[in-house]
Amino acid sequence: MQKTILDRVERVAGDVVSLVLRGDEGPLEPWEPGAHIDLALPNWLTRQYSLCGDPADRSAYRIAVRHDPLSRGGSEYVHLFLQPGRTLSVSSPRNHFPLRPAPEYLFLAGGIGITPMVPMLRAAVASGAAATLVYAGRSARTMPFAAELAATYGERVRLFDHGRPDLAALAAEFPAAEVYCCGPASMLAAAEAVFPRVFTERFQPTRRTFGPDTAFEVVCARSGQTIQVPPDESLLDALTHAGRPVPSACREGVCGSCEIAVVEGEPEHRDDIGAPEGRMYACVSRARSPRLVLDL
Amino acid sequence: MAEVRARLGEPEAMIEAKLGDHIDRHARRFIAHSPFLTLATADAAGRADCSPRGDYPGFVKVLDEHTLALPDRTGNKIADSFRNIAENDGVGLLFFVPGMRETLRVNGSAYVTDEPDVLARMQTEAKEPMLAIVVEVEQVYFHCGRALIRSRLWDPASQALADELPSAGEIAAELMNADPVMFEQILEAGYRKLY
Repeated sequence: MQKTILDRVERVAGDVVSLVLRGDEGPLEPWEPGAHIDLALPNWLTRQYSLCGDPADRSAYRIAVRHDPLSRGGSEYVHLFLQPGRTLSVSSPRNHFPLRPAPEYLFLAGGIGITPMVPMLRAAVASGAAATLVYAGRSARTMPFAAELAATYGERVRLFDHGRPDLAALAAEFPAAEVYCCGPASMLAAAEAVFPRVFTERFQPTRRTFGPDTAFEVVCARSGQTIQVPPDESLLDALTHAGRPVPSACREGVCGSCEIAVVEGEPEHRDDIGAPEGRMYACVSRARSPRLVLDL
Repeated sequence: MAEVRARLGEPEAMIEAKLGDHIDRHARRFIAHSPFLTLATADAAGRADCSPRGDYPGFVKVLDEHTLALPDRTGNKIADSFRNIAENDGVGLLFFVPGMRETLRVNGSAYVTDEPDVLARMQTEAKEPMLAIVVEVEQVYFHCGRALIRSRLWDPASQALADELPSAGEIAAELMNADPVMFEQILEAGYRKLY
């Protein structure tokens, strides 16, 4: 974890604040557009937020947080109780949404999904690529950074402060663009239905149905311990109950904190990240084979 | 009460002034940092009961300045509090913040709910409680720190007191004339499964 000081809290939309977290021990770890950090809050909760500042500025991270009316305690804490000057621990940046080199980009952002897109658009424009940002929100006052983006990038930015953009028309207009989408589940689903290839970042898990949860066995390769995972328990919980807890945060397969290396056996991946080869996320994923050997 | 009042004298004016009827910003901040409270209830005949409630700080949700909601987590399933609330809606809550000498008292009337929007806010480790207790707040006040100062409650050295007690497993084993090691294991396994 890296130690930061909360430098500034600034309202950037009706229900969104931006936080500037200044590194307290020299430069912060570098990051690429699309990356997010875990923020450890004083109320013991850890939440993931996309970095929306400038990667060239190693002195501070910037994030933006929407106050969720059904907050479980993360965004509510940020909005009501965090005060400038406080020390906060943040993780190393992780990136499940990297910007791949391309001659042309189409960025689709919905609401608070704009956060990773801010540095992505900047990097795309700096690379000399053709780039268009389509940014939709419920109303202008709920759309952080809209005015600045429009002022900086002019016609490259198209704002929809009511009504949805016509994705089919955009697909016809930008047939060769690499498409990146971050926003509510409905927008991601619509984009995935319209564009042949779209890179997505989710803040909430997709609702999908899987086969029945079955029991399996895991072997911890390093300790030799064998642990049974019953059908009604996650691998993460089974490890915790067996006295082998692994770090975790979102518990819904979106943040990647609970990544484990798989030595043997076939995991059944249920995450929204896209686990790299030989890795799995213990919070949601299970097993196809009766036994998994894990690097634990 | 007249006799007690005669012995103690009248309460200090400052203390009376702090009696509030809603969750102000100081009370809200206190609740947001409190991982533990005691919940007092009573049955129709007024027989009282008190039980501990704990989770991450802020586990009690402030729905508005007159309403709180407490998750009901896996406990002993005796449901004394629920039975009492069904008979008698009066409740008293005492919130603690570790390290803080003052406590927060909230009194009001309660009912049990399974309202999805309330339960959704209480999701922990991807699990929602089955039920929540909603408290309609009538009295809110900070309680002075003397009891916690005298009890040295937050002094780490005070934890040595626990070494003088038999474990819960040992007590249960003695009452039921069973193997204490087995009881201890059952208890510890249960304690690992908190949600």
